[in-house]
Amino acid sequence: MRKFATIILLALAVACRREMPVNATDTTSSATTTATTSTTSTTGSTTTSTAASDRPPIVLSSKIPGDVTEASIPPGSDRNQKLLLAQGDFDIYSWNTFIALNWPPGPDGNGDPNKTIGQNGDNDTVWEHYRDVADIFLPGGAVPTWNGPEPNVPPECKADYTAGTRIMTQVGKTPNLLTVSENLQPFKTGPLIDQNGVFTRFQILVNKPMFDYILSNTLYSKAGQQVFSGQVKFPCGVLNGAEGAIMVKSAWKVIDPSEKSNFHSAQVLVYTPASTNPKYPASCKKQTVGLVGLHIGHKTNLGPQWLWSTFEHIDNAPSEDDVASGKLKAKYNYYNPKCPPATCGANVIPPRPWIPNQVASFHTQVVRMNMFKGGSEFAFTSAAERNADALKLLVGVNPNSVWKNYELISTMWPTNPGNGKCQASAVDTLGTPAPSFLANTTLETYIQGPPLAPNVSSNCIECHNNATMTVGSKPSDFTYVLQRAK
Amino acid sequence: MTTTPSTGGPSEAVVQDFADMSAVLTGFQSSFLRPFLDPTNLSFFFYNFAVAQPQVGQSMMDKLLSTFDSLKAQTPALTDQQIADRLLEVGQKPSNQAQLAQSIILMWYLGSWYPPAFQTDGLQQVVSSQAYTKSLVWNVAQSHPMGFSQFTFGYWANQPPSLDQFGVNVPPGGGQ
Repeated sequence: MRKFATIILLALAVACRREMPVNATDTTSSATTTATTSTTSTTGSTTTSTAASDRPPIVLSSKIPGDVTEASIPPGSDRNQKLLLAQGDFDIYSWNTFIALNWPPGPDGNGDPNKTIGQNGDNDTVWEHYRDVADIFLPGGAVPTWNGPEPNVPPECKADYTAGTRIMTQVGKTPNLLTVSENLQPFKTGPLIDQNGVFTRFQILVNKPMFDYILSNTLYSKAGQQVFSGQVKFPCGVLNGAEGAIMVKSAWKVIDPSEKSNFHSAQVLVYTPASTNPKYPASCKKQTVGLVGLHIGHKTNLGPQWLWSTFEHIDNAPSEDDVASGKLKAKYNYYNPKCPPATCGANVIPPRPWIPNQVASFHTQVVRMNMFKGGSEFAFTSAAERNADALKLLVGVNPNSVWKNYELISTMWPTNPGNGKCQASAVDTLGTPAPSFLANTTLETYIQGPPLAPNVSSNCIECHNNATMTVGSKPSDFTYVLQRAK
Repeated sequence: MTTTPSTGGPSEAVVQDFADMSAVLTGFQSSFLRPFLDPTNLSFFFYNFAVAQPQVGQSMMDKLLSTFDSLKAQTPALTDQQIADRLLEVGQKPSNQAQLAQSIILMWYLGSWYPPAFQTDGLQQVVSSQAYTKSLVWNVAQSHPMGFSQFTFGYWANQPPSLDQFGVNVPPGGGQ
């Protein structure tokens, strides 16, 4: 067979990717740099130790990283060691992004360097001043604005609406969960119902560079997309420079005001449009909601497939191992420890009818599946170490910081990103992502990984590579939001 | 969040040796089969899959790798083609070891285990979903498997990337 195929070296720029990083941030405090060095025995078991290295630390900073800082990998490292070290770079990037995005904003919406995340327990955040995609893709293809009041306040919400109040409508990660046949959904999905029988709400927001790209290319309307003649190419973030296009997907559960010390919370208007099948009227209620999931996609030079960071509230759900060992907390947001598996099946989609403005008798019994088994264990190890580092920093600011209740699940990144200058390889557009699966239990509850294949499961990059603009149109650069144009 | 990492398997040196031998057998570069950052880890899985086969086992794999190591160490150095011909026992009735080498080639190219003739109780089977999607045959065909594409939506409207871009070194005048 070698007579017809001799492969030359394929784009392994990653092999010489590592140089000493520039550590330039407006650091107010940093976690001890604990780069992990692991050794693998002849049986393949992995042990870890920490050592000083050129890895930049997690920092308390309002500066959103423009890209990941890749540190060196010692010569002679084996497969697991290399991936663990590289994953660490991306997880540090993710935590630095999380901290900067959740930083208290100044009047311009950017992080205020004179304040600190969690100094008063909870705080307003930078990303919550991004534009909700529901306010970008407007009826009739109207021109959206970056700032300003909600353009379409439903009549049911008008009595309680004041400028700046957010209206949360979305039930499910996909906006049309309730109105589109399950056969037309991009993946197996359904609403997420908490232990109080209340439907979880979702919001997708984009940053100014992404909004500006949509606006300047008239991609906010179907008509604009039809006349758009180029390839959709959102801007890429630059290391130690400007951020690229950022998309934030958030999941919120209705909480009692007494629970506010455990969550990043907000007072919002929870709106449910009327439906004829099943039949229920529209409703709009002012409620306190707590953040339970945060998914951050950022297009960068070293991640033209976007870098996908996903965070969750620590009390969302137990893992498979927790359930098997019986090491359960007394209470979870989405799991009842007193309900036996025979009665409360794990990750079962709620039965229809789905009526989001009524309390449901069905509660989703969420279990975090072990999506890193079979070769991606490095992702678990890395996230655990970075979470410990970040926790020290956040508690150091304020022991009562609500941000101590959030953990990084992992970061999905391309191991073969392309040319390092915002351009993916023509023959490996996906960039061979690591880890192979990454699910947020609030956003991908029902598709958490094996045994499904990555492209129809929780592989952020492989799924988003299928994204296009409106029907019959062009690829949309790893984002589905352009499909919402009217 | 607690999840137990899995352990076990061949050492890094053994997996690298298997990748190096596979490169010689398939005509692909070893650094392509086992890249610097290798989340897919197919070399590891293919090695384990072959070793776990009834009538193959650790001893036959060890002998095959030992033969490869000996051929690689010969002076004057043999070409990759010569090493592959020796491993496959070209021109002779292939031994069980050579038949194993043939099955390893098929596993890389097609993502499936095709039992060698001596494996009378072997079953033809797909190794894994990733073995299927990462099969070398798709690179040689400048294509992608059914049900999965590493290309961007709408790629079919354009000429495929060249064999060079797929990493295939085509001799002047085209390949076979």
